[in-house]
Amino acid sequence: MNPFAAWFALFFAAVFTQNILLTNYLGMCPFLGASREIKTSFGLGAAVVFVMTFTTPLNWILYHRLLVPLGLEYLSLIVFICLIAAFTQLIEIVIERVSDALYASLGIFLPLITVNCAILGASLFMVARSYTFLQTTAYGFGGGLGWMLAILAMAGIRQRIAKNRLPRGLEGAGIALIIAGLMAMAFTGFTGITAPF
Amino acid sequence: MKTAARRLFLENLGANNPVFAQVLGICSTLAVTNRVRNTVVMSLGVIFTLTAANLIVSLLRRHIPARVRMMSEVLIIATFVLLFDILLRAFSPEISRQLGPYVGLIITNCIIMGRAEAFALSHPPGLSVLDGLSSGLGYAYVLLLIATIREILGAGTFMEMRVLGEGWMPWTLLAMAPGAFFVLALLVWILKGWVLARPAVEGSPS
Amino acid sequence: MLNEFLLGVGIVTGLNAFLALLLVLAERTLSHYGPCTLTINDEKKLVVPGGRDLLSTLKSEGLFIPSACGGRGSCGLCKVTVLDGGDPLATEIPWLKPEEIARHVRLACQVRIKHDLRLQLPREWFAIRQFQATVVSIRDLTHDIKELRLRLVDPPEIEFQAGQFIQLEVPPYELTDEPVYRAYSISSPPSNRREIELEIRYVPNGLCTTWVHRHLNVGDPVTFNGPYGQFVLKPGNRPIIAIAGGSGMAPLKAIFLDMAEKGMARSVRYFFGARSRRDLFLVEEMKALETRIPGFQFIPALSSPLPEDRWEGETGLITDVAARHVPDASEAEAYLCGSSFLIKAAIAMLTERGMPRERIYFDDFG
Repeated sequence: MNPFAAWFALFFAAVFTQNILLTNYLGMCPFLGASREIKTSFGLGAAVVFVMTFTTPLNWILYHRLLVPLGLEYLSLIVFICLIAAFTQLIEIVIERVSDALYASLGIFLPLITVNCAILGASLFMVARSYTFLQTTAYGFGGGLGWMLAILAMAGIRQRIAKNRLPRGLEGAGIALIIAGLMAMAFTGFTGITAPF
Repeated sequence: MKTAARRLFLENLGANNPVFAQVLGICSTLAVTNRVRNTVVMSLGVIFTLTAANLIVSLLRRHIPARVRMMSEVLIIATFVLLFDILLRAFSPEISRQLGPYVGLIITNCIIMGRAEAFALSHPPGLSVLDGLSSGLGYAYVLLLIATIREILGAGTFMEMRVLGEGWMPWTLLAMAPGAFFVLALLVWILKGWVLARPAVEGSPS
Repeated sequence: MLNEFLLGVGIVTGLNAFLALLLVLAERTLSHYGPCTLTINDEKKLVVPGGRDLLSTLKSEGLFIPSACGGRGSCGLCKVTVLDGGDPLATEIPWLKPEEIARHVRLACQVRIKHDLRLQLPREWFAIRQFQATVVSIRDLTHDIKELRLRLVDPPEIEFQAGQFIQLEVPPYELTDEPVYRAYSISSPPSNRREIELEIRYVPNGLCTTWVHRHLNVGDPVTFNGPYGQFVLKPGNRPIIAIAGGSGMAPLKAIFLDMAEKGMARSVRYFFGARSRRDLFLVEEMKALETRIPGFQFIPALSSPLPEDRWEGETGLITDVAARHVPDASEAEAYLCGSSFLIKAAIAMLTERGMPRERIYFDDFG
């Protein structure tokens, strides 16, 4: 099959049918907590895309070129998370230096990204599914984009209902979970679509 | 000191509960609560990691330089999670396979990092251990509640034992992603709307 | 077995060391902003190392900005005008009014010094320092007010104006996990530079008052910073109407003792209100001022005297008592100190009797 199409098929799957947030439940905390406004959600989403796109392939290199040859696969957890933590902190330093505006909109979210289960999850799934390097790039970028899509949709819905009166107790997390459940149901419809591998 | 400890313990179980009050640790909550057995194992993992990580972070709190604070905490947490993961794979390979990467994802469980930053970094080891234990227990009982509902209604079983008759049509939606969201939402609604919303009885603010 | 163990530990350690090194290098090179010049009020220039926030940098230079939360952006007290520091961050916006944002007011703890900055600070802040002191005496003034006397250790002397206050640091103890700061007026006159007196009234569950009343002992070290405040005697010759209640006595005591020491003569009517006799204190000292300051009159009043008090002085709410004595306040100036309730009532009473708002000075204790 045309490698271009294969890459794109995996990318499409990562964004929609295998959405890392709505299908694999990863990255929920900021999703529920920080998704009230479209602007902040966009900053958060962009940060996730950036970090996931780079750390997943980097972790692939570390796994397949360092850990596997030395028989140290069991250390992958520690190695992955350390790379993600260091990477986010490095990027934070760079952005802070380069652009105040970018830092104000994106940089402040970076420390949160380190503990975003989606980022680590992407690397772990990459190993579990034995992706090649090329596949990993599609998966990393697609996964991040899918996450951003989900959080933007959630923020859009929440902004719409911001003026509505909700039963006491459902405000905040409660209604967010219900919206997420409905979105998850909608995305389940995608599982019928099989990628023409 | 004793009353402070008791207050902390009860708060972490109730008013400051990590799951429904602070809304943390949701990822794993949704992923593993389709089976009670898996939930029990996951809760053990979280309690273990929370307590151990809080202890170590609290012991080292005056020696961690500011710039590498996050990396250090992450490293400490990762070590304990790795330990738990390997032990699980050795003693219960079936459960380990079912839980898959979600055991590893305990590292990123916001509760653990959250408690380390918010509590263990600024409190003595004794209290930190108590905090870890109580937060973990607070997490555990909420998850077990959700898992019980999801497994009984979604599969007719409890701890892999059939409890509802053969004719029971399982509510498959509860066993899937949306079901998890809805059950948790319901729980949050009940707890926040009625149980926690009692008017404050303590003294007036200073 | 050992080989595997060493290899595993070695790889993880090596990788982390490499990453940590990368971070340190990045910070050295990229976060290194070099020396920056802070121009304050267009006159004073400070050359400081860049990269840190304005609050802690100024603190290292000996310039104290009021702050209660230690730089975490959760108290909103550290407002400074930064003329070329850019737009406020999301963490600052909740604390700034729109007109403050238009005037380039920022929270000092959220401003990162990356280049030269032009600041505007109130002149009084230059005199603010952090002091270490020792408790030399704790004396009961009433059943719920204690007088705290502190001897300064480092720096050994403090210069302030009568009526100003300091921020006392309450260390972590039973009621609080982190240090908190509470403001108290200095009740001793400025002539005494080596010791200061504070009047602290016990408030149930109050963080600082409980610490002072239940945990502090003679000989204990304390930390405070200051002096702050603009509740000072204004120059001129206008007759003074002073109204206070409870620990509101403190700044006025400092002001009047200072006046006596400086040999000032001025018409002063000092109305001090309390509930019953057991809430009155320093009556003799204040009465004594009548001989030391020509024109000084001390008028205490009780709002609910008990029969055993055998009170023969004025009765009623202190603002009502003052109202009876001052039919026309258009020529005088007023100094008020006490609870918000007292301040509000007094302002209303005085404006009704012709005093212009600008001549009413007050210190609201909340």
